[in-house]
Amino acid sequence: MPSIDRKKAGQQYWRSLNELADTPEFHEFMRREFPEGASQLLGENRRSFLKVMAASFALAGLTSCRWPKEKIVPYAHRPDNRMPGVPVFFATSMEKAGVATGLLVKSYDGRPIKVEGNPDHPDSLGAAGTQAQAAILEMYDPDRGQAIIHRENGQEITKSWEQFVESGKELFAGLRTGNGSGLFFLHESTASPTFQRLKKKIQQSYPQAKWAEYEPINDDNERSGAKIAFGVPYRPQPEFSQAKVIVSLDCDFLGSHPASLSWARKWAEKRDPDGEMNRLYVIESLFSATGAMADHRLALKPSQIEAFARSLAEAVVEMHGLPDQLSSLKGVLSNEGADEPDAEVVEFVRAMAKDLVDNAGAGVVFAGSRQPETVHVIAHVLNSALGNIGKSIQYIPGADPMRPTQREQIEELAESLEREEIDTLVILGGNPAYDAPAGLEFTENLPGVKHTIHLSLYQNETSQLCEWYIPRAHFLEAWGDARSYDGTISSIQPLIAPLYDGKSPVELLALIAGDEPESGHDIVRKTFDEHQYGRVEQDWRRFLHNGVLAGSAEPLYAPAINVDAVVKTLAQPSSQAETLNGAQYELVLFEDSKLFDGRFANNGWLQETPDFLSKLTWDNALLISPRDMETLGVKTEDVVTITAGSRTLDVPVYVMPGVAPGSVAIALGYGRTHAGRVAEDAGVNTYEIRTAAAMHHAGVSLKPAGRRYKLASTQDHFAIDKIGFKERNERIDEIIYESTHETYKNKPEFAKERGEHFPKVDLWQPHEYNEKKWGMTIDLNKCVGCNACVTACQSENNIPVVGKEQVTWGREMHWIRVDRYFKGDPDKPSVTPQPMTCIHCENAPCEQVCPVQATVHSNEGVNVMVYNRCVGTRYCLNNCPLKVRRFNFFNFNYGLKEVEKLHFNPEVTVRMRGVMEKCSFCMQRIEAVKIAAKNERRAIADGEIVTACQQTCPTQAITFGDLNDENSQVSKKRSDARSYTLLEVLNLKPHVSYLAKIRNPNPLLASASEEQSEDHGHGALHS
Amino acid sequence: MVTAPYTREIDNTQDDPRVRAPLVTGDNDFGSVTNKVCSIVEDPRIHRAWLIMLAISVSFLGILGAMISYLVWEGVGVWGVNNPVGWGFAIINFVFWVGIGHAGTLISAILYLFRQKWRTSINRSAEAMTIFAVMCAGIFPGIHVGRPWLAFYLFPYPNFMGMWPNFRSPLLWDVFAVGTYATVSVLFWYVGMIPDLATLRDRAKNKYRRIAYGVLSMGWRGSHRHWHRHEVAYLILAALATPLVLSVHSVVSFDFAVAQLPGWHTTIFPPYFVAGAIFGGFAMVLTLLIPVRHFLGLKEIVTLRHIENMNKVLLFTSCIVGYAYSVEFFTAWYSADRFEMFTFLNRMFGPYQWAYCVMVFCNVIAPQLLWSKKNRTNLYVTMFVAMCVNVGMWFERFVIVVTSLSRDFLPSSWGMYYPTLIDILTLMGSFGLFFTCFLLFLRFLPAIAMAEVKTVMPQAHLDRGHHRGAGDYHGDIPGAHKVEVKAEV
Repeated sequence: MPSIDRKKAGQQYWRSLNELADTPEFHEFMRREFPEGASQLLGENRRSFLKVMAASFALAGLTSCRWPKEKIVPYAHRPDNRMPGVPVFFATSMEKAGVATGLLVKSYDGRPIKVEGNPDHPDSLGAAGTQAQAAILEMYDPDRGQAIIHRENGQEITKSWEQFVESGKELFAGLRTGNGSGLFFLHESTASPTFQRLKKKIQQSYPQAKWAEYEPINDDNERSGAKIAFGVPYRPQPEFSQAKVIVSLDCDFLGSHPASLSWARKWAEKRDPDGEMNRLYVIESLFSATGAMADHRLALKPSQIEAFARSLAEAVVEMHGLPDQLSSLKGVLSNEGADEPDAEVVEFVRAMAKDLVDNAGAGVVFAGSRQPETVHVIAHVLNSALGNIGKSIQYIPGADPMRPTQREQIEELAESLEREEIDTLVILGGNPAYDAPAGLEFTENLPGVKHTIHLSLYQNETSQLCEWYIPRAHFLEAWGDARSYDGTISSIQPLIAPLYDGKSPVELLALIAGDEPESGHDIVRKTFDEHQYGRVEQDWRRFLHNGVLAGSAEPLYAPAINVDAVVKTLAQPSSQAETLNGAQYELVLFEDSKLFDGRFANNGWLQETPDFLSKLTWDNALLISPRDMETLGVKTEDVVTITAGSRTLDVPVYVMPGVAPGSVAIALGYGRTHAGRVAEDAGVNTYEIRTAAAMHHAGVSLKPAGRRYKLASTQDHFAIDKIGFKERNERIDEIIYESTHETYKNKPEFAKERGEHFPKVDLWQPHEYNEKKWGMTIDLNKCVGCNACVTACQSENNIPVVGKEQVTWGREMHWIRVDRYFKGDPDKPSVTPQPMTCIHCENAPCEQVCPVQATVHSNEGVNVMVYNRCVGTRYCLNNCPLKVRRFNFFNFNYGLKEVEKLHFNPEVTVRMRGVMEKCSFCMQRIEAVKIAAKNERRAIADGEIVTACQQTCPTQAITFGDLNDENSQVSKKRSDARSYTLLEVLNLKPHVSYLAKIRNPNPLLASASEEQSEDHGHGALHS
Repeated sequence: MVTAPYTREIDNTQDDPRVRAPLVTGDNDFGSVTNKVCSIVEDPRIHRAWLIMLAISVSFLGILGAMISYLVWEGVGVWGVNNPVGWGFAIINFVFWVGIGHAGTLISAILYLFRQKWRTSINRSAEAMTIFAVMCAGIFPGIHVGRPWLAFYLFPYPNFMGMWPNFRSPLLWDVFAVGTYATVSVLFWYVGMIPDLATLRDRAKNKYRRIAYGVLSMGWRGSHRHWHRHEVAYLILAALATPLVLSVHSVVSFDFAVAQLPGWHTTIFPPYFVAGAIFGGFAMVLTLLIPVRHFLGLKEIVTLRHIENMNKVLLFTSCIVGYAYSVEFFTAWYSADRFEMFTFLNRMFGPYQWAYCVMVFCNVIAPQLLWSKKNRTNLYVTMFVAMCVNVGMWFERFVIVVTSLSRDFLPSSWGMYYPTLIDILTLMGSFGLFFTCFLLFLRFLPAIAMAEVKTVMPQAHLDRGHHRGAGDYHGDIPGAHKVEVKAEV
């Protein structure tokens, strides 16, 4: 860490108080235990005493506490609509890689503590992902850059904003006279109208200035593909309500896709086994959340996916023919010349094609962002040929049609750096020194630029090489605007004054543009007014209140295919096919489900969230199929050396069933060197082998390095001992009830017939629930395993982060976890996620064995923990059949900095060491509603109480409510035919029940019948 | 006075129908027994070997203290316990030590009621062992909790919150069972020791010993009234202690049996645990007494016959334990419960297979050597078997606690348990406490119940002439002849 001149940094805020602190009175105060004036408190000296006290208080809070500079109004009379201790919600949004998600942020007395989805936002619908929810922790991160740093002659000097403005004015005045030649802007993707407005303004005053937009995880391929297919970079906008057959060509639209929150919701709505169910086919190389949800999944190497897409197109054309306007495509929509795929793939293609053709006009074909433009083109052509466009899929225009790809833009910047054409480089956000493609020599050439300014949340790898570092205001501290995936303009409003005096990108741009207001609010407001988003003040307020500008979504189009361009593109295989040709292994570089491109690396919540399928925390690892594990002779935690061209990288291996044999995959975003203390030693930096030519897929060779590396996984990995492996496979059917739609329609009661059936006798008098009986159902048919509930719970319930070492010891603290079980052939497994939390048994094994009655049953059916009473025998943990109890093995909350403590939910106890904890059904939320209802003398409405996990679930898989009320949602779901409870053999009588998973396989595909359709569920016991 | 340790072994293990085998061999009378036992305590010299052993033991005791301090300072996380294995070395050690603590009371109380005269030579040290083992055991439940400073919540004390412990919890029963057992054991030990303490007091050559033993012997004068009261009290305590022998380990087994965890939830646990405890306890008595009789010259009092008898108990209980191991498999199979079946298969073939093998070898296979009398009377074989059993019984608890927890109902929460260095050092430290106490006991208290041994010597029955009572020793073998002659003089 650079030595920050704290005295100077503090002086600008505390100038007068600091001076006061140096007065003789103050020193006298420090020397004596009691201030001089204490004995004459009521006399003349009272004033100076208070001054002295204020000074000492100021000193105590010098580094963390922030008081507003401007006017202070005493709180003697409570302002209207402000109640201390009563949370207030504010709508805002988080922009990530140019796409905004609408959020609602809960704030206690001016302190934001919890991020939730904005129900009014079309791309959130009330849900928020893990990253958005973890933003709270990021905002309070003490590792964030806290002062403006000026690097000069190898020295780091802390400067004030005024000093920066002074030098900046001089610098930019010089550049302006040169029409901005030598000025280069590099920025993250953003669709912010204010940003675009300021950019235009700067382009006018600095016409020679160049701009580059770069995100390591970008939509280049999608845009290029759509540009070829339609001439305009359209974004697909599926109508899931119309779609019966969905084909994903490596598109993780339920997981990592920017619009996944709303898409998953709409997709899940059409997964109702009692109504209509869509059918999902997924073709991919690694295992994604979408692949896990698929009714049919085919694991193919990256190089085979393009061939597969062509085969699919060929089959569709053969069965369906082509509409007249596309007839000239017939020649190119074939897979001639490629290797003959094996019989299984052929069968798959034919079944899928038939399904698509049978449901023409009600199908959707997606292509994923890693796939080359050719695959995108084929997807668009298929949608068009099948008549899906305008019905089950529509398109919205993407911004800036003429924009070159981001890859081209960063390459142009790198060339300019190489040629030393740049005088001043302004980097707004981003971290190109870390994530720019390898081979561009970014890190080497960046320090050669005369003036560099980096605006960033953290002093990251890039900041280290820049002349100026300016702390960026977190989105929860800043004003702004953004657009969501469907184009809806969303507001960004600050929940708190910038903790470290950060500036937002628009504030910095406004400074450069000149003739702009200083405050972020005024800048954004100016955009709002100029673009005439609203006419009156009320409109602005409504915009802020709702978080969205009503009706600002992009219009939907049903574009036609640009046949000539498509013929030209499809005439030959994509360039990717060439790069991968003959490679020993095909490497997939994918965005991390937690750290994204690496920007969230210093976030403990995200680092510790187990990846949905690998269950890895704190590391990335090379995912490799069980078959390749054998060929290579490696096992999980062995280190292998990846050789990609001239670059090598040592990475640990993680064996993951379902990865296509012949391909391996590793996440981006790890191995940060200047991310902060949390990110230290977390994983390996895979950008080192990511070149501009092979951004997503690369041909590599692998060699065991003969070392081992400890990985922290929260669930057993694939390769365990034989007996455990066998038992695990046999036991899955007792834990996850799963069937096919066909079977379910014939025999809806299948779940009831499973499990043990014998008379159950209670050992004790059963509990009575006279008023409420809280219960929950979790619909396995809807859960996509996105982990949003895990982060929601962590944030709501003050769950500590324990660190990698503790996770390897099995001491992670999550109250809700997402179990996943692989089933079937390890090369093509099916997987089902199962959110697991305390199921609040009526016959709770934990309650019975606690010697001190620290865990007891409430009269509302909740199994409650009395932290004060708990001595920590861990007997309850041992006796819990689900192992959902979490023990504080250490004082995990000890030693937190003051600023870190601010993220805690004041409604929930922060537990000390030696205490057991677990899901409380969000007791604080139940009580809050109960109190409100009681004050208003009314009954609690069904659905009024929403637990944190339920609230954020994108697919609404979780229902909570009163089981005593027959008409409540939860009671209805509990009496659903699919409802079952876990481990009935133990007669636990849990209050959490599950709804069985129903897949909808294609009857034409043989694997469909392998589900245990007729099996009674007891497996070996009956034989 | 102890001079050179007595090296010759007298074989008194023959069962000759014509004569009763002597329980004290050699040329011994009341006086010589008193001398031999008291001289250990009275010897003014400090033996180097004893001192070295004490130094080692105290070092380990120090380690125990350091480990506990570190634990209390940092938290239970310094151990290897985790989720799902919430209990680790601490509970294993607790059950192990409580088990060891079984033999003492069994020897003193049950064998007393069953008139097993041979118990007299070994009961004192066995009882001492019991108490020290229970002390070691008692440490662990206290320190294994997350917040040891609140461990008193487990006691049913009146408080203004009206909070009582949970009487349904076996851990609470444990508190009572072990507490009662420790109390009765200490009382029993002490009451039995009073006459011997008085002997030491009477023989004391300096003021401090006189005062110390004087206080401890509570004014014992050896009057008939004293003896009468003493014997009645001793009998009552024996009757009280007898059910405790069975109850304490039954209750300890409830910690597991009452839980619903496969591998724990078994009705066979109470008898199985009691048998195992007796097994382990006797092994520990043998482990202690074989060196003690050698180094302290007590071979004539703790004879081969005693060792052989203990070996027989060892063999018998080993068979019970072996039977229990196999019956568990049968029960698991017969239950047709998938979780139960897997737990036992997993014990045998899962990742902790090595621990299971160690357990079976040490507890079931090694003791089979004792079917042969030659082995039973061979001290090296005996010592080998006893050491095996000590290790095996620790591993039995390891297998029960760890393998069951590491793989229970949901495969998603299966997890391995590995002890940390702290775990291992704490276990070693508990041996430090045990041996420190035992070595001090040998040096400062009468290691043999002199008064009781004398009752099984022929001299005790001279008054009855030829009316030899059942079970009394009658000096019909060489050596004893001399005693009789002497007594007539």
